[in-house]
Amino acid sequence: MKNEKGKKFFILACLSPAVILFTIFMIIPTFNVFKMSLYKWGGYSPDKDFVGLENFKILMTDMKFFRSFQNTVLLIVIVTVITMGFSLIFAAILTREKIIGENFFRIIFYIPNILSVVVIAAIFSAIYDPTNGLLNSTLGFIRLENLQRMWLGDQKIVIFSMAGAMIWQAIGYYMVMYMASMASIPESIYESASLEGASKFNQFFTMTIPLIWENIRTTLTFFIISSINLSFLFVQAMTNGGPDGATEVFLSYMYKQAYTNSSYGYGMAIGVVVFIFSFALSAIVNLATKREPLEY
Amino acid sequence: MKLKKSILLIGMSLMMAAGVVGCGGNKEEEPTEDVVDDVDVDEDDDTEAEAPGDQVLKVAALESGYGAEMWKEVTAAFQEANPGVTVELQTDKNIESVISPNMKAGEYPDVVLLAVSREDALTETLTKEKGLLNLMDVLEMEVPGEGVTVSQKLVPGFTDTLVTNPYADNETYLAPMFYSPCGLFYNEALLEEKGWEVPTTWDEMWELGEAAKAEGIALFTYPTAGYLDAFMYALLAETGGADFYNEAMMYSEEAWESDAAQEAFDIVAKLAEYTHETTVANANDDNFQKNQQLILDNQAIFMPNGTWVVEEMKEAPRAEGFKWGFTALPAAEEGGDGYSYTFFEQIWIPAAAENQDLAKEFVAYMYSDEAAAIFAKSGAIQPIEGISEMLEGENELFYSIYDTGAKAVMGGFAATEPVEGVNINDTLFQTVNSIITGDKTVAEWREAVIEDAAKLRDALQ
Repeated sequence: MKNEKGKKFFILACLSPAVILFTIFMIIPTFNVFKMSLYKWGGYSPDKDFVGLENFKILMTDMKFFRSFQNTVLLIVIVTVITMGFSLIFAAILTREKIIGENFFRIIFYIPNILSVVVIAAIFSAIYDPTNGLLNSTLGFIRLENLQRMWLGDQKIVIFSMAGAMIWQAIGYYMVMYMASMASIPESIYESASLEGASKFNQFFTMTIPLIWENIRTTLTFFIISSINLSFLFVQAMTNGGPDGATEVFLSYMYKQAYTNSSYGYGMAIGVVVFIFSFALSAIVNLATKREPLEY
Repeated sequence: MKLKKSILLIGMSLMMAAGVVGCGGNKEEEPTEDVVDDVDVDEDDDTEAEAPGDQVLKVAALESGYGAEMWKEVTAAFQEANPGVTVELQTDKNIESVISPNMKAGEYPDVVLLAVSREDALTETLTKEKGLLNLMDVLEMEVPGEGVTVSQKLVPGFTDTLVTNPYADNETYLAPMFYSPCGLFYNEALLEEKGWEVPTTWDEMWELGEAAKAEGIALFTYPTAGYLDAFMYALLAETGGADFYNEAMMYSEEAWESDAAQEAFDIVAKLAEYTHETTVANANDDNFQKNQQLILDNQAIFMPNGTWVVEEMKEAPRAEGFKWGFTALPAAEEGGDGYSYTFFEQIWIPAAAENQDLAKEFVAYMYSDEAAAIFAKSGAIQPIEGISEMLEGENELFYSIYDTGAKAVMGGFAATEPVEGVNINDTLFQTVNSIITGDKTVAEWREAVIEDAAKLRDALQ
């Protein structure tokens, strides 16, 4: 009996620091975001006007917000699909095949992840430079002048230019994650598969992917969260939402409203929408990808 | 035994948590990196009742292109002139992010030098929230030791703008500090070499545009669309006159729907055709210097900018014989007035400042010859009588623009209550990017501005 009590104390003691920190730094601020979204407030004055759901009503008619919404969703989709595709292929090649310089490639692919976003933004600004940039120069060199573009100036493609930088940055990280789970699949399964005559292609789709499915599901949530967060950093560093709002994303628009436009409460309302959106999207993705886990 | 251990553990974890919580409250003890604690700060300041002659003044100033050194010098000089006063100076290139967390916690600096039109818009936010102190009595204060009042020493017009009097009621809340004429910068040597004249009307401008096009040179570029503010303000004053400009800044429906406004929109649209093709792609904070470089490389003729560009680009490579030229905007019609927008920074006192009287004295001191000389040394020019004698080098040319016929236009949009989702600066200036790329038409642009103006008009304070 005494032992039971001691154990309870011990568990409580171990949990309390995390719980206290979590409450202070996560729950209370989140609660405040929700609360502030119901006020009209600029951020400094002591008088806050309670306006109920007025901020959300304005939000529903704010075309600039919808544009940032579209851009964010577009980035989440293309960055996730392309990054996941490439990382899976690279991971499969690096774990399943014996190629020279395996470690070298692993490091090369991972390097972008160590760089800060500002550095990557500078690199890609140089790549996308309209006159001396790597991309346009290469296109000119191989006689494809008609493909040269103003990568950061053309409103129809600038969002894809941003996606390019984000994909380049993310591939290595997810590749390493997939490699870790692929490496734990026993070699014997593949051996018997080859004896049965399964091609590499078949092995990848019918064995590798199903066997690391749980891992892929986890990364999908990462993709959603990191696309929302990183797109803000990239936009801040590269285009600041321009030209004329063509690369505005959720968080950059929220920042502009909360600070530049002195509408802190409205910014928080956008924050609430982002919060609910990312939660809901993660939940949907999680449910849609639920499978019976396979064991090896 | 076990119980003891677990009690110990709980105690430790609570202490840890308390430590973390405690960290949040220790602001006063954490000196900011940029705080320059000058001379003997009395350690037990807080415990004693402050004697009148023993005060601390908290000054926060933006470290702009002029550097932070002049602020150190000027605050030191102020301390010397006011024995018993200690100035705590904070300067930073992003001063709003340094001071705003403390401000949210109720600790305000006493004096702030921070202009409007910055991304974080701290000055605008405080204006909109009525968080600034009325400075009318500062204008009537005597400049220390000079026998004239501040308003007598200020160049007329600088305290009649919508920036200094944001509520349009003739009450000054922000005092004008360093000013800079804005206009079109170009390479004088290029025009001389080609035998081209600086255009005095927009018609001449278009002729020059055609002539330059034939030589493969673009007529126009701009660093970022944000730089078009000074350009648009001057243009509006040209097409409609000074009163029209003021009405437009008050979001008047008539003004924005008028022919004069339409003319300004049309001029920008036409200018878009002559704008260098890479301008929009580089018109962001990361690459705007590439657009400025177009002028140095003779690839474009004119760009709207302020006098700071000379300092900003001084290390950049340039065409042979390059010489900065500077002109006001060409007039809307033959014999009309050319306008140049005067950009100026502002100094203000938060309404929540503790030492308001001392802060006012400090602001008055800013306009003394002593302070002005210190600022002028770093190239920061104040709008006060007698400043022209402190000008040297290229600044003499730049600041003489109003003596050679150009009219000055100042201020910006009037302060309103914040309107969610509406930013007329973005609508008016950033859209130019879309006009150039063809994503929006002039009609759409005008329509959007009129719509935003209507929303802001209802929120005027």
